[in-house]
Amino acid sequence: MSEFKVVARRSEIPDPGRKLIEVDGRLVVLCRIGSEVFCLDDVCTHDGGPLGSGELQGYDLICPRHGARFDIRTGCARTMPATESTRTHRVKVEGDQILVQWADDDS
Amino acid sequence: MTTALQPFGFDTDSFEAFLAQRAEPDWLLSMRRQSWDTYSKLAWPTRDHEEWIRTDIRTFRIENFRPPIQAPPASVAPPGLLTREVELAGACVSINSHSTSHWLAPQLASKGVLFGSLPELLADNADRLRPHLERQIVLPGYDKFAALTSAFWIGGQLLFVPRGVRVELPLHSLAALTADGVDLQKTLVILEEGAEATMLSETASLSVDVEAGNVVGSAPAESRGLHAGITEIVQGAGSRLRYVNLQNWGTGVWHFAHQKARLERDAGLQWTLAALGGKTAKVNQQVELAGKRSECQVNGVMFTEGRQHFSYHTLQHHQAPETRSDFLYKSALQDKSRTVWRGMIKVDPAAQKTDGYQRNDNLLLSDTSRADSIPGLEIEADDVRCTHGSTSGNVEEELIFYACSRGLTRREAVRLIVTGFFQQVLDRITIPSVRDALVNAIAQRVREYR
Repeated sequence: MSEFKVVARRSEIPDPGRKLIEVDGRLVVLCRIGSEVFCLDDVCTHDGGPLGSGELQGYDLICPRHGARFDIRTGCARTMPATESTRTHRVKVEGDQILVQWADDDS
Repeated sequence: MTTALQPFGFDTDSFEAFLAQRAEPDWLLSMRRQSWDTYSKLAWPTRDHEEWIRTDIRTFRIENFRPPIQAPPASVAPPGLLTREVELAGACVSINSHSTSHWLAPQLASKGVLFGSLPELLADNADRLRPHLERQIVLPGYDKFAALTSAFWIGGQLLFVPRGVRVELPLHSLAALTADGVDLQKTLVILEEGAEATMLSETASLSVDVEAGNVVGSAPAESRGLHAGITEIVQGAGSRLRYVNLQNWGTGVWHFAHQKARLERDAGLQWTLAALGGKTAKVNQQVELAGKRSECQVNGVMFTEGRQHFSYHTLQHHQAPETRSDFLYKSALQDKSRTVWRGMIKVDPAAQKTDGYQRNDNLLLSDTSRADSIPGLEIEADDVRCTHGSTSGNVEEELIFYACSRGLTRREAVRLIVTGFFQQVLDRITIPSVRDALVNAIAQRVREYR
């Protein structure tokens, strides 16, 4: 398991809102709701759509291509056409800093 | 706030500096300028575009690379995988776009065959080669990568076989990259009427001891690189070509290729594409069957692992009557790798009696790999036979159980099944060294899965 690393500042992300970031050659979406921040892959498991361009409704991030909804807390696919979870990464918030630990080591 | 300067990047200043050091005829410089103009106007492809919808290049940054104007850090590369136990009629090597060696059997040179570095041969044969360069069957405006290569190509190979000349032995070319290297290549293969040839072309990533200028082996997996290439094959009436293309870069290399062949009457092409390396590969492969009764057979072999992403877009374009095409692509995927194959058979109204076939088979060796297979037909003639097929699946546990019950380990069993999966396409490859190199490379890569 990799170390937590600083990837962004919380104040950069609208509340509620999301931001696409690139770290270590990978693209992930940071979602913020109040003091909570979540991190998930920028990949819709249906056809690889860019979740980072999707709309955030409550705890659901909606893929802009076909409307699949993913729970930003767990990555679970909540509606068709997606059936598999997208990967989430552990997040820590320290002051204004957002730290992320990758769910795996292979970047 | 400071702004990082990017000297020697891909900008207009570096392009003009590059042109200033090329001793090229005005017509070629003018073509390059037009392409640079196109490059400057075009945006990088985004996933809104159908062809790029499954291929994410947002982490690709041209600013991370420099035009390969400087001489490469090494001048000798190890022999390629395809040359083992093969007698050759000629060979050429380039490192980071620059030609480092080339030779051609004198008896072929005396018959008018040209083979070797395109820029060097162009210097001596500018007028003769001009129509072939001006033809540009790969349009510079197709996308930003095609425009980049058309403007900035530095190296490349040329094979020119005059009318009626048969080249019996294969010719070999190797393009190598070192760490952070850039390969901007234009390759032209021209067979005049009735000519015959076999060309083996491959790529590799090298690790170089910069101080000593020696190659010390293959590059570490993460070694970054960029290839943007254009290959144009033009075959005259009745010519025969066997062309093999092995993409074997290290897994840190971005590979963007446009490859197109045009066949005149009764011409025949057997084209084998094997893809093993690279980080992300986006390849457009097109064959235009422009002359009556021309035919092509394409054999595609792909093996992906890690997080590799290969995207192949093929077009078999039947423009004339009684033409035949037969495309077979097979991919095996392991780890978290992904392939996209999108094939199209296009038949023009004039191309009656066309016989077109395309097939893509995918073997998913892990639960986390993914293959998208999208065959397509666009037929405007009414008397044709066009068929296509696609399969995707896992290795059957029952097969593994059976093989294990006969004394094989699980890994041996999987390797056997993978080899068997590829056998259909390997059997079509008529050059033993190519077949052996692919079988060995694939067998080495197969891991154990449960």
